[in-house]
Amino acid sequence: MAGLAAVFGSGAMTNSIEEIENADCILIIGSNTSVAHPLIATRVFRAKAKGAKVIVADPRRIPIILQSDLHLQQNLGTDVALINGLMHIILKKGWQDQTFIDERTENFEELKKVVEHYSPEKVSEITGISVEDLEKAAEYYAKAERATILYTMGITQHTTGVDNVKSLAHLAMLTGNLGKESTGINPLRGQNNVQGACDMGGLPNVYTGYQAVVDQAVKQKFEEAWGATLSDKIGLTATEMFPAVLNGKMKALVILGENPVVSDADCLHVEKALKALDFLLVIDIFKTPTAEMAHVVLPGAAFAEKEGTFSNTERRVQLLRKAAEPPGEAKPDWQIIQELSSRFGYPMDYASPRAIMEEIAKLTPSYGGITYDRLQGDGLQWPCPNTEHPGTKFLHQGRFTRGKGLFSAIEYKPAAEMADEEYPFQLTTGRVHVHYHTGTMTRNSPSLEREISECFLEMHPEDASELKVGEGDWVMIASRRGSVSSRVKLTDVAGRKTVFMPFHFLESRANILTNPTFDPVAKIPEFKVCAVKIEKMDRSDKSISSPP
Amino acid sequence: MSTKIKEAVRALLTEGKIKGFLGLREEKGNIMPYLFCDPKELDALSLGDWKKPGDTRYPLNQLMIKLAMAYPNETFAVLIRGCDERGLKELFKWKQLDEEKIVLIGLGCPDELAKACECEKPFPDSLIDGPKGEKVDSQKVAQVEGMDLDTRLQFWKAEFNRCIKCFGCRNICPMCFCNECSIEEDQLVGTGEIPPANPTFHLARAIHMVGRCIDCGLCEEACPADIPLRTLYKKVGEIIHQEFGYKTGLSVDEKSPFNIIEVK
Repeated sequence: MAGLAAVFGSGAMTNSIEEIENADCILIIGSNTSVAHPLIATRVFRAKAKGAKVIVADPRRIPIILQSDLHLQQNLGTDVALINGLMHIILKKGWQDQTFIDERTENFEELKKVVEHYSPEKVSEITGISVEDLEKAAEYYAKAERATILYTMGITQHTTGVDNVKSLAHLAMLTGNLGKESTGINPLRGQNNVQGACDMGGLPNVYTGYQAVVDQAVKQKFEEAWGATLSDKIGLTATEMFPAVLNGKMKALVILGENPVVSDADCLHVEKALKALDFLLVIDIFKTPTAEMAHVVLPGAAFAEKEGTFSNTERRVQLLRKAAEPPGEAKPDWQIIQELSSRFGYPMDYASPRAIMEEIAKLTPSYGGITYDRLQGDGLQWPCPNTEHPGTKFLHQGRFTRGKGLFSAIEYKPAAEMADEEYPFQLTTGRVHVHYHTGTMTRNSPSLEREISECFLEMHPEDASELKVGEGDWVMIASRRGSVSSRVKLTDVAGRKTVFMPFHFLESRANILTNPTFDPVAKIPEFKVCAVKIEKMDRSDKSISSPP
Repeated sequence: MSTKIKEAVRALLTEGKIKGFLGLREEKGNIMPYLFCDPKELDALSLGDWKKPGDTRYPLNQLMIKLAMAYPNETFAVLIRGCDERGLKELFKWKQLDEEKIVLIGLGCPDELAKACECEKPFPDSLIDGPKGEKVDSQKVAQVEGMDLDTRLQFWKAEFNRCIKCFGCRNICPMCFCNECSIEEDQLVGTGEIPPANPTFHLARAIHMVGRCIDCGLCEEACPADIPLRTLYKKVGEIIHQEFGYKTGLSVDEKSPFNIIEVK
């Protein structure tokens, strides 16, 4: 988000999902697409069937490599080096789109200077990818008529997350793969409505539609609409809140549909912060481990029990219709928020989600033309500034949101915590195909739980044999932050000394281990790389493994 | 919208011959299954986007089984095409539905759709509206059979490699009515991996489609990995026809060779 906003002026998937199937080259980087976004993987499969070149860059041999023409198995956290290396080759061979660079971008010379230092040999050394494969990837991507990039958390969840995203944006600009069909740079959102949550100002620095809280004109507009005095100071991100609690700067917290006790990096630290709160209110559909710690829990309505809209990864706003009444005392979130606000002395009196949508359209330029009446069938993609506007399939046609696309110089920086003598393994985390996030929903499903019911640590067979560990044996995994136990799964999906753990399981919380050090701009923690040590354990020792 | 179908259903409802009609309804740009119990609701009746291939259909027969279980003494009418009728005939034989308690409201498929489906019989006997189209021979099966054995195996393995084990093919299948499912047996197909055991997972399902698959194509439409399941099951049907002279869904009286043991 922050990375794309810096380069283009707006942070969202530039193109649409269906366009992927007409791309001539697809670069998938840091995305386990067929596992985490299966319906987007369908479009990749269709593009492949039509002859597209598919490049997958991932430290693990994930299932979608079976559909790829080339798998680049980079070392953890070396994405900037990899992308600089690709740009180096493209410039050396003269494969860049000079017209696009001249007409639509600025600061190209600065990029060129930095990229010059990333020779294929040097990049091969850093990333572990052969020079031959680097050259092949650069050729596939640069020579394609329409090349598109898909990425997810494997790119963003790093201390260099913003650098990674900017580098990808540079690669697309360098080759003119923006502002036209089946190209672009496409962050695939991990949740059905995370785009919508951001669009609605669920970030500490913006109101709806990314209108800055520091902008006085914006502030005045919202003050008039809401009849209230508003702050023009930027608030705290989620990752900044927990330290603020422990510093005594924050006393109370409302958590809505989140389970940070399982999902946040260094989650033991999060638990400590939650315990230190004077008051914790959790709104959720199940009693999650986070809700267990709350002073008050309010039951929310699930997706099928409420009305409203979801804005998906391709900026498409879709209408949600209620299929069943919420059980017991559960209420839709908007009603809970409205009642809370009224009791705090700011009465809210929206009659329905439709009434809220009318206000959104009035105050949000990019949602200006989106109304319930127009949201029949397939919905509308923002920007949609007025009620005659058909919505926007792809962004940046003819002009970037910020005017010209901005190149900058980005140097490779290693991950914050590299393996060393004491912690000789690099751990990366991710998802499995049957579970979603902290398992609040999926682990309540018998058919999904039947498929995978417990955590596992993926380990290279040669590393395992050195540790005298066999398939299914229990090991204790420890980082500088804590330790967890898990069974071992032998596999050569990743290289030597790189281990993987899914983060869905409360019993073996991968996020006890992960590094909370975050990207300086986006404040996103480095979930994807930390250093760990691993010891074989006696199965009967299991009880001692998870700290309380 | 078909006036003939609407009027046929209206008559059945008004005369009290059926408790309800299981069909499709369009609401706010979306088409969904709906049980019409009141003739006044029939203006919202829809045939879906039925004229061309690639439309979104629903397993109405599967819903019919649930409905019959909930209301065993009632009679219902159901919207069917040629393939759905073949399905009902098998479901009657397998005693999943009672022939006496179902009224068929038949709709014939246009040529364009019949060609895309390579349909054996693109219209039901109980035709009320729509064309009585010609049989279309399968090119797709012939194409795969044109490959030599090794190429063919590689072809299928590559197709199955895209599988994400969503069970969509089984879940949407109107002929999958077993209480226990072989492809959920972890001795046969290990859990936790995608793609699932290749080719065991898909071949196990194909074998269980013997004498059952009525070639409606819902599985292939539902498959998020675009695996040509229909081609695979068409071949299964062809083998049964060659070896046992049996065509699935052709008549209610002729027993399936896999259903010759009477259960009293």
